[in-house]
Amino acid sequence: MYMLQALDIHKRFDHLEVLKGVSLQVKKGEVISIIGPSGSGKSTFLRCLNRLEKIDRGYIEIEGEIMVENDNHGRASYHEEKDISRLQRKMGMVFQNFNLFPHKSVMHNLTLAPVLVQQVDQGEAETVARQLLEKVGLSHKAQNYPFELSGGQQQRVAIARALAMNPDILCFDEPTSALDPELTGEVLRVIRDLALEHRTMIVVTHEIGFAREVSDRVIFMDDGMIVEQGTAEEVLSNPQQERTKSFLGTVLSAW
Amino acid sequence: MDYVTMLLPPMLKGWTVTLQLFFMTLVLALPIGVLMGIARLSPIKPLAWFMEFYVWLFRGTPLLLQLLFIYFGLMTVGLRMERFSAALLAFVLNYSAYLAEVFRSGIQSIDQGQYEAAEVLGFSRRQTMTKIILPQVYKRVLPPIGNEVINLVKDSALIYVLAIAELLRVAKTAVMRDGTFAGFIMAAGFYLLMTAVVQQFFKWLESRFNYYR
Repeated sequence: MYMLQALDIHKRFDHLEVLKGVSLQVKKGEVISIIGPSGSGKSTFLRCLNRLEKIDRGYIEIEGEIMVENDNHGRASYHEEKDISRLQRKMGMVFQNFNLFPHKSVMHNLTLAPVLVQQVDQGEAETVARQLLEKVGLSHKAQNYPFELSGGQQQRVAIARALAMNPDILCFDEPTSALDPELTGEVLRVIRDLALEHRTMIVVTHEIGFAREVSDRVIFMDDGMIVEQGTAEEVLSNPQQERTKSFLGTVLSAW
Repeated sequence: MDYVTMLLPPMLKGWTVTLQLFFMTLVLALPIGVLMGIARLSPIKPLAWFMEFYVWLFRGTPLLLQLLFIYFGLMTVGLRMERFSAALLAFVLNYSAYLAEVFRSGIQSIDQGQYEAAEVLGFSRRQTMTKIILPQVYKRVLPPIGNEVINLVKDSALIYVLAIAELLRVAKTAVMRDGTFAGFIMAAGFYLLMTAVVQQFFKWLESRFNYYR
């Protein structure tokens, strides 16, 4: 059984068709990287998976439960709000811009959702939060506020916050794109550790080297479609498609 | 000096009326303003349209006219209100409209990413509003709210047209009766004292919110 199935996803913004029938099936424990030029639709696709963007056509199921499917007219029809909310919670999300809650301490950023949404006891939530902060190397920052942290530290808190909800699938939307180059390492290290634990993850990224290192599968998207996918070795070292080759050429020549 | 001490008791009495209007308007208009600001952004279109109309109506006409309309205008159709209640009603309706705009723009200034983070963490709409968005809005709207509150101190003088014995009316009566303008100077002193307190209070409030950025 798949953890997640997204089939034939179509999405347009006004007259711009950003997803032209994208499909993805994710198995438990799989780490998937989605790469591609900006404007290729990779972030939009990721955001469709937990309904941050609504799709126009297609089918998404999470752990066997349908979130959205086509109606008789071939238009996407979403299931009930409370079901979607429950499915959304199975998917953790780490954003490019962290989106920490600025008015809450690091500790409260991690405990707020477990306490309010999952009705976990505050003390218990704090115990879990402390373990997660240790995991991302920020135990000493529990009482600080987000603005007191560097971008890399904020993103690590954001990862811990997503983990605090104990999601089955963790999604990363260009987690290092907003960071200074010297800060990307600390964030990638945390994500790498999660990959080693065989967490199911989907990572939209520009870091080709990182994708090669952690991914079970690499997907190359361009122009709203999946152009090529396979193991990191297949896609990154031995690409079959011209578009993949030229993209990797531009990205890697920059190094 | 004797004149000042003689004038002080009636002035203080007028001042308490002014303060009553001031505090009661704030206590009522602030929460109503928050709700109206949220309603203005409601996905329920008729509600949002109504709020837009409401704001236009009460910001688009003079407060003085609203005061006269509510007291005298409604009287002509047989709806007789007590003077102070009519004044309070006009002030609450008017200030709610201004505050609704302040809160609306405050809510819209919060980054979309905050809503998205709340959504993926499973917060309900209400939780997102009360726990994530509004606490950040309160910090941002403090300076414009401070402006409105200073305006309220001074606008309170308008109710003298309803022959309510508030600060300015007491001063004016004294000036007319005694032929000296000491009453006006004293009234100015009271207003300046009130605005000074408001200004310091908001300075303190803003510093209280400085623990995050």
